[in-house]
Amino acid sequence: MTAIIADDEELARRLLREYLEGQSGIEILAEAANGFDAVKAVSELKPDVLFLDVQMPRLDGFEVLELIGGEVAVVFVTAFDQYAMKAFDAAAVDYLLKPYSAERLHEALARVRRRLGEPRPAPAELRNAARVPGEYQARLVVKDGAKVHVIPASRLDYAEAQDDYVALRSEGKTWLKQQTIASLEAALDPGRFLRVHRSYLVNIEKIARVEPNTKDTWIAVLHDGSQVPVSRAGYAAFRKLISR
Amino acid sequence: MHPIFQNWRVFLLYLAAWVPLGAILGLLISATSSLSDVQTTVVTAPVTVILAFVCLAPWYTCRSLPLSSMNVKTLLGQHVLAAVVVAGGILLIARVTAGAFSGVLPGFGQRFRQSAPVLTALVTMIYLLSIALHYVVIEAQTSRRSELLAREAQLKALKAQVNPHFLFNSLNSISALTAIDAARARAMCIRLADFLRISLRLGERGSIPFSEELELTRMYLEVEQVRFGGKLRLVEDVDPACANCEVPALLIQPLVENAVKHGIALLQEGGEITMQGRRDKDTMRFTIENPFDPDAPASRSGIGLENVRQRLEARFGNAARMEIHVEPRVYRVTLTLPARTIPWRQS
Repeated sequence: MTAIIADDEELARRLLREYLEGQSGIEILAEAANGFDAVKAVSELKPDVLFLDVQMPRLDGFEVLELIGGEVAVVFVTAFDQYAMKAFDAAAVDYLLKPYSAERLHEALARVRRRLGEPRPAPAELRNAARVPGEYQARLVVKDGAKVHVIPASRLDYAEAQDDYVALRSEGKTWLKQQTIASLEAALDPGRFLRVHRSYLVNIEKIARVEPNTKDTWIAVLHDGSQVPVSRAGYAAFRKLISR
Repeated sequence: MHPIFQNWRVFLLYLAAWVPLGAILGLLISATSSLSDVQTTVVTAPVTVILAFVCLAPWYTCRSLPLSSMNVKTLLGQHVLAAVVVAGGILLIARVTAGAFSGVLPGFGQRFRQSAPVLTALVTMIYLLSIALHYVVIEAQTSRRSELLAREAQLKALKAQVNPHFLFNSLNSISALTAIDAARARAMCIRLADFLRISLRLGERGSIPFSEELELTRMYLEVEQVRFGGKLRLVEDVDPACANCEVPALLIQPLVENAVKHGIALLQEGGEITMQGRRDKDTMRFTIENPFDPDAPASRSGIGLENVRQRLEARFGNAARMEIHVEPRVYRVTLTLPARTIPWRQS
């Protein structure tokens, strides 16, 4: 079985390496000290299991999980996070709480072995489960081949649902991300992003004006000139929001 | 709204208290004038009712003119002016009442004129008395509130002093070091124990000299330096004159934790935490500065900062302040507080 270790603390990586080297049949392919490197290493080396710390520079553990999707079994390794526990239960094959014993790691590896090849839940939904109530995602991460793009939520113009993907429109560029529009809507601040249409989520600050289109539909014109359809329900929600 | 309206029983009791007060007012008026009993009642009854409500107004005026923040002359001037206006208004109402009834009760208007000075004096006195009473009530309320705030802040500080993240991560570092470098593992155990022992002890005390607070943050940072290795660097530039300034215990600890957790820890190359202390005659200024990753998602550091702000306010009131300055890549918190030295030493 092949593994990658992602943790920003050198001592934490060395401990895990020491434990893993004591187990038979485990090969450590790489170590990563930040989220970007972890995503890159996973896409290039395709390990069976990723040991992932939650608090890391550049991308945190949940963002990494979101980007690598179901490519690999994930075991979270973290000190303490009351909100993250929920997500660990749902998302990761297992989680290790620091400090942990070699025996505990052994159990985690056994679970990974049992669950290799099982389908894994969509990672974007898991992040929502781990969110602190009332706090929303301040940025979105998108993988484009081996590259990772970080889009601050404030720079997102709108998102459009396209089958299993959402097309994120920001500063004239479009990024495709594997996520449902409903889960994206749940992840973003409802005071700033409005579902104006079954397939469209719009950044309210980017709306220049809303014009009537047909009898029961409207069009939102954004500051950059792009147009987004607005349904009857979306228009009602928009009016309710701006009248506050 | 006046607190008396929050409970209708209290309000009824207040109105009931005005019945004997009105009776006394009537007795005094009839004793100093030639008004008949009926005429006295006709004048006194409406005056008492109106006065009962007008005497609630100082709740608002007293709060906008707090005892501490004004000079005595303006304060007295404003309240006496208000009292005179109130007395004048009530006199006018009494006169109109007397005029209206003068057809039924002959000589009413004439006799009322004699009683006017006494009525004016009494109303002015009652109103001024109500002002004094309101100040007492407001003062009691404020002191109770600030006491509550101080206790709450202390509780929060106790809870915050041992951050579980810090503790578990440190234990994990020790666990790693046992196989790599046993001597360093032991040294870290001792540092961690020292930090925990001292922060528990300091948490029980209200105020401590700044030097002790600084010593504690040094221990904390030494433990974190083992965890982060070369990533965490320190620059300390503290004026020795700050050493004996009084600060609430564990005041700057959350700031240092934030600098590590939301600053250095999220930077790939790490960085420098700079602590600076300056003191002149009556103020002390402490600045903590750390680089941060502007692209990192906004964190939950607001809670810790709010705690620091509240504790400063509970201890020093308006005399202290906290300023946060965010540059593109640098986060800086500055605390300015009165430089009070601790005259006695708590054990």
